[in-house]
Amino acid sequence: MPPKKPKSGKSSAGSKGKGKKIQSPAARDWELSNQDHPEDIFPMVLTSATQELFDCQADEDVTGESPYKLLEKDDIIQDIKTRAAVSDFSPVKQIVLDYPEDELLLVYDRDFTYGQSFYLVLTPEAKDRILNPPKPETPEVFEKEVVKTPEPKPWISLGSDKEIDEEAFKESREKLLYKFSRVRRKFGVPVCFSDRNTADAKDDYLECASYQDSRFSIKQMQRDCGMQAVPRLQSSSAQTQWKFQKNIFTQYTPRELSVEEKENILQLESLKNFCNSVTPRVLQALQQEGIMNVFFDDWKALGTAADDGDWAGKVSEGLMLYQAFTDQKYTKDKKICSINWHPTIYGVIAVALTEKKEEQLNKSVVRASFILFYTFSDPSNPQLLLECPDDIFAFEFCPSDPNIIVGGCINGQVVLWDISAHVTRLQGTQPGKKVSVNTDACDFHQDLDDNKENKTPIVHYCAVSALESSHKAPITDVQWLPTTFEVTRMGLPVENMYNISAQVVTCSPDCTIMFWDVRVSSLVSHSASERRPIMDQKTPYSVPDTFKHLDRTWKPLFRVSLPKIDTSGEYAPLKFNLEHYTCNEANENGDSSKVIPDYSQLRLPSAKTLKALEDVNTKLYIGTEDGEIIYTDWKLGKDDSGRLQSAKPLHCFSIHHWLVNTVQRSPFFKDIILTAGSWNFAIWKEGVMDGPIILSAISEQVCTVGCWSLSRPAVFFIGKEDGSIEVWNLLEKTNEPVQIHSHVTNAKITCIKPWAASSKQHFLAVTDDIGMVRVFEIPKTLYVPSRSESLNVKKYFELEEDRLKDFLRREELWEKEKEAEELKKRRTEPDKPVISLVENEEVNVKEYNDYLMLEESVLKGMGLWQAPADTQDN
Amino acid sequence: MPPFPSQAEVEETLKRIQSQNGVQGIIIVNTEGIPIKTTLDNASTVQYAGLIHQLVMKARSTVRDIDPQNDLTFLRVRSKKNEIMIAPDKDAFSNKTSFLLY
Repeated sequence: MPPKKPKSGKSSAGSKGKGKKIQSPAARDWELSNQDHPEDIFPMVLTSATQELFDCQADEDVTGESPYKLLEKDDIIQDIKTRAAVSDFSPVKQIVLDYPEDELLLVYDRDFTYGQSFYLVLTPEAKDRILNPPKPETPEVFEKEVVKTPEPKPWISLGSDKEIDEEAFKESREKLLYKFSRVRRKFGVPVCFSDRNTADAKDDYLECASYQDSRFSIKQMQRDCGMQAVPRLQSSSAQTQWKFQKNIFTQYTPRELSVEEKENILQLESLKNFCNSVTPRVLQALQQEGIMNVFFDDWKALGTAADDGDWAGKVSEGLMLYQAFTDQKYTKDKKICSINWHPTIYGVIAVALTEKKEEQLNKSVVRASFILFYTFSDPSNPQLLLECPDDIFAFEFCPSDPNIIVGGCINGQVVLWDISAHVTRLQGTQPGKKVSVNTDACDFHQDLDDNKENKTPIVHYCAVSALESSHKAPITDVQWLPTTFEVTRMGLPVENMYNISAQVVTCSPDCTIMFWDVRVSSLVSHSASERRPIMDQKTPYSVPDTFKHLDRTWKPLFRVSLPKIDTSGEYAPLKFNLEHYTCNEANENGDSSKVIPDYSQLRLPSAKTLKALEDVNTKLYIGTEDGEIIYTDWKLGKDDSGRLQSAKPLHCFSIHHWLVNTVQRSPFFKDIILTAGSWNFAIWKEGVMDGPIILSAISEQVCTVGCWSLSRPAVFFIGKEDGSIEVWNLLEKTNEPVQIHSHVTNAKITCIKPWAASSKQHFLAVTDDIGMVRVFEIPKTLYVPSRSESLNVKKYFELEEDRLKDFLRREELWEKEKEAEELKKRRTEPDKPVISLVENEEVNVKEYNDYLMLEESVLKGMGLWQAPADTQDN
Repeated sequence: MPPFPSQAEVEETLKRIQSQNGVQGIIIVNTEGIPIKTTLDNASTVQYAGLIHQLVMKARSTVRDIDPQNDLTFLRVRSKKNEIMIAPDKDAFSNKTSFLLY
């Protein structure tokens, strides 16, 4: 409500103004001049009645933000007329009447800046000014000014000429002029000037010596002096002595003798003599060369490369037990199906445990399945446990990022783990390093179960594949595709843009091989986001969400089936091996960066943008349940109906009679493969389609696993069912192992994996059926390759290949010969059989009689002859 | 066929040496190091002549500095890939030196 105080004044003024027109302007003027507000506005009070009438109620129609209200002039005049003196507008009646426009501006003055709650704007100019405040000048104007060149203006003196005047030299008086002239009579006579020292004559000069006047001293506070800034230049020169004159460049041509001179010299007698004298020496030298090479050290060449000189004392020849790992709690009644060394951290092994009992149906006592991580520093406690949805048969570390692990379950699902949160714990167990355990990275799950720090953390799996698109049988082999190529949905190999391993291949006895990709696919992302709220509720533990996009919806990229070659049906693969494609371009550049990508951020690249690689070897070697080794192509081809179909395998060999448990490529030769299964093992060469180049003899024990040595191309290890390990060296003995370590363990050996920890330490991890892991140290003789071993082994394999080919060729020949002979025999045979039989009998009888006579004569000669009982005794 | 008999002898000697197993070439130079006769191409000859001559001078001076009665009879430079045999003339001031590559 507007204050009522000055209202009385206004109304009185208004009443005055109503009646006496002369007084009202004066009164108005007085009001206006007495008050501290601009002349063109008029503060006024409006009663609530007036406010309602004009729709300008305070804080309702007009507010602090929008205080402007335009009022019609006619309305105001009407109000004045109707309410006369009572009207609030009566003081401004004259102004309103005189107002040129039709609308007046009423402004709600909330802050009472002009003393009242409203003010009326009296002039249209002020109204315009208030409603449309002038806009600030735009810089456009400024720019326009700069573009124009400034015009010359006359010089405006600012006072500097005064200073110049002060400083300038001016003559204060006229110059004095002295004119000397000689007397007339001396005109023309030579002048004689002489010197005179002023000091000699007295009073010749007056001296006004300066002295310090003690009466007065001025301190000069200010002094004007002129300054000029000049760059300081200094020039100097030096001269050196060129003592040792050396040529820097020389250009020369060789001196040559002309043809005539050469001819002349050649004819000289002295040349002939010289040649004759020198020749014997030369020939002797040449002969020496021919006899022996004096610079060749035979002793050195005799010794092997292993002779480094640090063989102090005894060196063991066989595998020495370095450490054994077992854990009572987790490994009871379990066997180990798969073992892997951690690719980067020293001394860390991961083992996958599976139930030993065959009865899978009895799930009443279900124990959680784990993958255990052991480290060298703590042999009886695992450092990390990876929780699996079910028993894991095979798992692998990702080659680009060792924190990602993929595993294949017994129920056919593929599982992914991310252990980046616990890597420090594993690294902390390295020798010489003490890293405090990262407790804030431990699982929430762990805090629930156990509060102590030294309990093993359990890592839950990040993602598991969709049940309906997984394998229908246990996954027996899992491999990461190498960083050099990747595959698309269509089954074509394309280049790998980021040089990381992001794709996995799995195989299972349900007769399929599947290719999976761990990256976010653009197709799947929107459906995954819908399902995300459901998934969040299901995972209570703090699981790393690297693969959240894949959990439970993970589908393979494509499937490869293995139809049998000659019959219907399919092969059931157990193990497989692909060739690692190495391409030479640009991969070497990428290797230096070695940035481990964040797997959760990876996106599946669109297949169109990637370049297809034509020369990738897309063939696989597969070992099956029935002991066959199949060589097939995983690239999908189009069949008649246009659908993508797997090709029929190229070759199939039944070499092993039972389950094949190892298919491994040699780390030195990319076309040599070792397969082991049932009672023998075989070595194959890719490209030789006729069979294995080396096939071992059938041994008494089942070969359960085989693996190549990492540093020697000719050495490999075979594990047996009775717990013994055989070490084979192809360059020493080819029909039997070089070393047999029998009874390494009491149970069947399930896995062997070698690892080169450093150049002086090579380990071999051996696992068995009762859950124990033994790590052996490989002796120097077995890991240091002999000289040119790789070449020798290669030659050996080529020899074997040739032998195989030769053998097959000969077999063919023999077959042909046999057939030819049989044909011939059949043609001539019908005449012979009876005669030959009879003949044979006669010959036999004759021989027997001869023999009897011989016997008789001999015994008679020795005096031992006894007449036989059946001879007729007269 | 060389027109002078002594030339023929020289040729014959060179042939004898050249026919040995493993000899790649022969160069005969005078005391100043300028090649007189060669079985190699011109560029190699010139290069060898220039370089080896200095070596021979150095070797000879070394030997004679140690014992003035002594003289260099034969010099063999053996490298990884081949060997260079240098036979200077008996007379120190004579004008022939021959060397060959092996």
